[in-house]
Amino acid sequence: MPAPYEIFVLVKQVPDQGSKAGLNPDGTIDRAKAKRMLNPFDRYALQAALHTKKCYGGRVTAISMGPPPAVEILMEALEHGVDRGVLLSDRRLAASDTLATAYALFKTVTWVGRFDLIFCGLQTTDGDTAQVGPQLAERLGLPQITYCQDFKVEDDKVHAERIIEGGYQKLISELPVLITVANSYHPLDYKSFRGAWRVQQLLRNQEEQKKYIQTVDLDLVGADPERCGLKGSPTIVAATEKVGEIGGNCSMHEGHSPTDLVSEVLDASKLKEFLTV
Amino acid sequence: MTDEGKKISSPKGEVLVIAEQILGELQPVTLELLGAGRYLSDKLGSQLTCLVMGHNLAEITEKLVSYGADAVYVADHPDLTCYRTLTYRRVVVDLLDSLAIPPHICLLGSTTTGRDLAPRIAAHFETGLTADCTELDVGPYEHKSKVDPSKVGIYEECLYAIRPSFGESLKARILGPWKNPQMATTRPGQMTPLKPDSNRQAKIIPVQVSIKPEDNRLIVAETLREVGKGIKLQEADVIVAGGYGLGSADGFQLMNQLAACFPNSAVGSSRKVVDLGWIPYEHQVGQTGKTVRPKVYIACGISGAIQHRVGMSKSSLIIAINKDVDAPIFKFAHHGIVGDIFQIVPEMIRQLESVKSDKEVQTVVSTH
Ligand SMILES: Cc1cc2nc3c(=O)[nH]c(=O)nc-3n(C[C@H](O)[C@H](O)[C@H](O)COP(=O)(O)OP(=O)(O)OC[C@H]3O[C@@H](n4cnc5c(N)ncnc54)[C@H](O)[C@@H]3O)c2cc1C
Ligand SMILES: Nc1ncnc2c1ncn2[C@@H]1O[C@H](COP(=O)(O)O)[C@@H](O)[C@H]1O
Repeated sequence: MPAPYEIFVLVKQVPDQGSKAGLNPDGTIDRAKAKRMLNPFDRYALQAALHTKKCYGGRVTAISMGPPPAVEILMEALEHGVDRGVLLSDRRLAASDTLATAYALFKTVTWVGRFDLIFCGLQTTDGDTAQVGPQLAERLGLPQITYCQDFKVEDDKVHAERIIEGGYQKLISELPVLITVANSYHPLDYKSFRGAWRVQQLLRNQEEQKKYIQTVDLDLVGADPERCGLKGSPTIVAATEKVGEIGGNCSMHEGHSPTDLVSEVLDASKLKEFLTV
Repeated sequence: MTDEGKKISSPKGEVLVIAEQILGELQPVTLELLGAGRYLSDKLGSQLTCLVMGHNLAEITEKLVSYGADAVYVADHPDLTCYRTLTYRRVVVDLLDSLAIPPHICLLGSTTTGRDLAPRIAAHFETGLTADCTELDVGPYEHKSKVDPSKVGIYEECLYAIRPSFGESLKARILGPWKNPQMATTRPGQMTPLKPDSNRQAKIIPVQVSIKPEDNRLIVAETLREVGKGIKLQEADVIVAGGYGLGSADGFQLMNQLAACFPNSAVGSSRKVVDLGWIPYEHQVGQTGKTVRPKVYIACGISGAIQHRVGMSKSSLIIAINKDVDAPIFKFAHHGIVGDIFQIVPEMIRQLESVKSDKEVQTVVSTH
């Protein structure tokens, strides 16, 4: 498997939690109303994929599963320099948990073709499980490097540094391999001029767009619908409970002199009460 | 005819905890899991078992027994000395395959190891897995949705895997009663270990280890790790924590001074400054550091990344000092000061000191 490499990167569109749009009173998200964005953790995976291409040559394919608007993040990936995108979109995927998601992605990945490296984000901000990467690796029978924060490829082997409690592990893996990229890896570079220009062209020409971004469904990739969606998911969310707002209840102190700021906070927070036992 | 009201109970499988050791050191989360596992297995009326993998495990095995395991599976092999996804996965899969009935529940720590291994096991057995739980319980559940008729029924003893979601603002109870083992990883620092008792007895069951050549596609060249046990971060009432905003190791002098204002205080830090060598690992708070719940947490120059937040968000009072008004820490602190540490903290020390000396004068006066 000599370079140039076939490099896959898995990206997901998530609700933008920074914006209050689509936030239900009970704290859950109305996905239809919410603003959408590329999962922030996937930016590091994109950077790793593009870096691999830059250093060792190859082609980068961004793969996503989600409703049709997820095409937006594949466009965004193209702007950053990804070569092509594949979107798996199918109503029968609704309510998939991580196992069903990993199954559907597994089918998609094998349908797309041969690969040497697959990069995933560490976790998503909506699912927040960090499970899809390893579950996909299991289905593909691959070695995996999770929490990877640095790597190089040498003689068709990946030498990687992986975060552990209180330190690091240095790993060596054969290709092909699946890597989940830590958010302590290099941040994503700015969009490339060429990429942005190309996406502008694609936006004007639907036919041309289809050459670069392909939308596929379960039938095309040969996935069993029984193993997807609600039916294919061994877990369900039985109940949710609000546990106090995160966001919005921090009282902010700013704009005064340090002396005033500090005395304001000392009064408001009752910090002085902790000076004695 | 529908199966509504049909009661479904599975044969009493064990509650299996997968132990975690790094460089021969048993990780505290395993003892926490045994505590939680004991509670679950007592409620189910089943056995609490524990699988430990590594090399030269006699001491660890003893410890697992004293912390409550009824039986310990020991996979002792030189190739298992340090954690590797594929070799450890092989041992777990082989063990589960060898059991007459699958465990009812299987638990791992929500650590960089547990979160690497658990999803592989769950995917292999096509069973449900809930990540990063903060509470566990067992109880009944009635599934009414008819989307999949084969799932309808009353499940008597399901694992309630409870975890924060949507940035910790919701708690979700996640169930997967249709297939055993029902799996979960739990966040370090959340469950309570039992008191160790050296009189506890357990069955020790050696496990056959048969690693295949393809499991060696991934090797560990080196494990670099610093462990510290000196400071009492978890017992402190007040933690003053410093991050990258301190600019250099010298910045921690200011943290020490602020901490010194309070009785029973300690200095904490983010991981970034530990990686930079500004302060030893024992001070690190967060996902790969310590979980703390002090009465007061003062975060200075810490951005508030998710991995830091999970280690300190339960603190009763969080005060954050950061010069960036958009820093994520201001999303979950109780009081945020937008400003420069080097102006704010010295001023804070000054004002706290003056309150203190006032108080001392008062106590001196009143004792006379
Ligand atoms: C698997 C994994 C595990 C991890 N585990 C942990 C963990 O256990 N604990 C942990 O903390 N991190 C952990 N991290 C790292 C985490 O993602 C962040 O990178 C880290 O917490 C950032 O540290 P910081 O806030 O000190 O630095 P930064 O994110 O760089 O933030 C520095 C902050 O200081 C502010 N600042 C700068 N100068 C000043 C000034 N003069 N006055 C006031 N404010 C100033 C800046 O505005 C900024 O907000 C982990 C990451 C991964 C991938
Ligand atoms: N629907 C999806 N489409 C593409 N990639 C995904 C999807 N869901 C998860 N992933 C990948 O798996 C990683 C971990 O996701 P999660 O397990 O949901 O935390 C993400 O960062 C993505 O790289």
